[in-house]
Amino acid sequence: MERLIISNTPHVRGNASTRRIMIDVLIALSPAAVAGVVFFGWRAALVMAIALLSSVGTEVLYRLFVKKEDIKRITATYDFTSTVTGLLLGLNLGSQSPWYAPLLGGIFAVGVVKMLFGGTGKNFVNPAIAGRVFLMMSFGTAVSGGWLAPSIGAIAPSESAVPSLVDLLIGTGIAGSIGETSKLCLLAGGAYLVIRGVIDWKYPTIYILVAGLTLSLYKLDFSIFLPSILSGGLMLGAIFMATDYVTTPNTMLGNIVYFAVLGVLTGLFRGITGGESVSYCILLMNITVPLIDRFIAPKPFGYVKPEKKAKAAKEGNNG
Amino acid sequence: MPVLSKSTFKGGVHVPDMKALSSGSAIEVMPAPERVFISVQQHIGKPAVPVVSEGDAVKKGQLIASQDGFISANVYSSVSGEVEAVKKLATNAGMQTFIVVKNDFKDEEVLLDEIDDSDGAAIAKRVGEAGIVGLGGAGFPTFVKITPKEKIDVLLINAAECEPYLTCDHRVLIEYTEQFVEGARLASKALGGAKIFVGVEDNKPDVIEKLSSFDDLNVVPLKKKYPQGGEKQLIFAVTGRKVGIGKLPASTGVCVLNVQTARAIYKAIKERRPLYERVMTVTGKGVKTPKNLLVANGTPYTEILAFCGGMTDDAIKAVAGGPMMGKVLPFVNGYAKKTDSGLLILTDKEANVREPSACINCSRCAKACPMKLMPMYIDLFTLEQKYERAGEYGAMNCIECGACAYVCPAKRDLVGSIQYCKKKLREISAQGGK
Repeated sequence: MERLIISNTPHVRGNASTRRIMIDVLIALSPAAVAGVVFFGWRAALVMAIALLSSVGTEVLYRLFVKKEDIKRITATYDFTSTVTGLLLGLNLGSQSPWYAPLLGGIFAVGVVKMLFGGTGKNFVNPAIAGRVFLMMSFGTAVSGGWLAPSIGAIAPSESAVPSLVDLLIGTGIAGSIGETSKLCLLAGGAYLVIRGVIDWKYPTIYILVAGLTLSLYKLDFSIFLPSILSGGLMLGAIFMATDYVTTPNTMLGNIVYFAVLGVLTGLFRGITGGESVSYCILLMNITVPLIDRFIAPKPFGYVKPEKKAKAAKEGNNG
Repeated sequence: MPVLSKSTFKGGVHVPDMKALSSGSAIEVMPAPERVFISVQQHIGKPAVPVVSEGDAVKKGQLIASQDGFISANVYSSVSGEVEAVKKLATNAGMQTFIVVKNDFKDEEVLLDEIDDSDGAAIAKRVGEAGIVGLGGAGFPTFVKITPKEKIDVLLINAAECEPYLTCDHRVLIEYTEQFVEGARLASKALGGAKIFVGVEDNKPDVIEKLSSFDDLNVVPLKKKYPQGGEKQLIFAVTGRKVGIGKLPASTGVCVLNVQTARAIYKAIKERRPLYERVMTVTGKGVKTPKNLLVANGTPYTEILAFCGGMTDDAIKAVAGGPMMGKVLPFVNGYAKKTDSGLLILTDKEANVREPSACINCSRCAKACPMKLMPMYIDLFTLEQKYERAGEYGAMNCIECGACAYVCPAKRDLVGSIQYCKKKLREISAQGGK
């Protein structure tokens, strides 16, 4: 008798895999990474490379020495999640960051936020954001190297002047972290993820629009709506970091609530503090996810609200 | 009648239907084998009690095991010959009693008594007598279904055949159209004149066209999506009625029957033949020549496979039934049952069995769930042995369709977790827990 496999239903499986999803995210991030190198030069490439190496290296070393897995198994089951974390972290840092910033950030993001909590799928906040916030809180802007304007394009004359929308969209002459300045590249990556079915277009859209609206309302100035959604880390955060599967709710309603509240918070933070907003807000909302999923769970098909009973009981009591 | 816009339900998954492997091959009658192994447990409920013993001569269509209690079903011999043994054999559902009949190839047949087919009660009684059970795969005794306490106004024939690969119902609808329609009419009569609806997935336009010529059938084209033929999903798509949690279709005035069940009703009443054979699809890329076969009850799977040219070298998995909900066979050593809609032999590429990895919370399972449950949390809490917490996410409402596990990128055994959780929750409630 031939040897046959025994496994539970269903006996056919779809082609989706965690690895494939993560590779899709990497593909989607690549235009922004290339734009970062074009705008900020070889230092940007170096920062991203160190971030990648330290993130991936941390996972591999942790699994080798703490989980006692052998190298064959690690390569066979490596799902590219820490590669995504590393690249995102690199894109979140300034091109002038000292070499130890991406290194420490990667170790913290993957080692502390992800592996210590149980590895893939168990991180309670987005590792890359936690890495960025960790660096900013520990070393201030010194470690991020400040937000230097790129070498290409006319540099915005002064802080007060608002750059043109075209410059904001393409990233020419815009100061910022390596990956956040070219919105065009980020949007292209986002479109790819939507087409591949990795993310739902609704959620980043809700986040970006609500954040822009909230800020406009706060300042009572709707002319800043477009510049505000095209500047800073909003788009990078909305498309690639707030949509991290692990730290978003599992229902459509839950996600709408999540991204709308996130948008309001970001708008308010931006309006009040004028400083780092997106990463703190995402971090804050990440930890509300279990709560949202607890209270916004779908009712099974065929569920009937016990309204009549409750009403009847109430009326009975009153009578 | 006007063709309605394509109805469907919320959730579900698109699975490549793979029906082209066998949908073109006409139903072939497989000659009865030398020996048939007929199980007395081919239905939901109590096993039937053998009424023959070793050495008895039996004819085709003769009662060999009699139903035990209300939820049970008669079993008939599918060949004429001699009872060689009544013994227990191992199956993938545990040890079962089998009646082994050696075929004398004389093909002598006994028919059931004639009945008055204008009388609904007589039709229902005959359906019970003929050992007819749900031929879609569940095997629930049909007599119980067509004699409900509730008033039934809709007889819904499940012709969705949403399981990928399977084409037996499709072929029956095309080749035995008259028999099927007549069977549905008889069932409707037994139900006191319920209106007949037939739900067909739109990947079978030939069926939709052919059935539309019958004025008393309401053919409803359905969107091709798995599990379109799930009982609750089908009822919702066709009638817009929702079957409540823990309730049966009868509570909404609907009785759902499978295509071949309707045909079996025709055979039992018009031809006076009980249920001892069925059409099944032998398919998968691991089978040399996929076929739709009319198979005698109790035929060994090995002989069915040999009749289809045998397995290919890269076959790695065998399944009785459809690929989404069928039962995996550890060896191809079972025997054809009333409920076998298919015998699948899958290759590695088709089965795509991979080691499960950690859940990444992508929520694809929840989106795919036709019952609107949250499989990821049921899995999580079941593995933590917090069964009651898992129950809060709807574990008991799971219809085990497998849509969640199909889409899972981490290849987790979600169905397995939920099945285990249901078992544990039943134990808890049996012990008088919450």
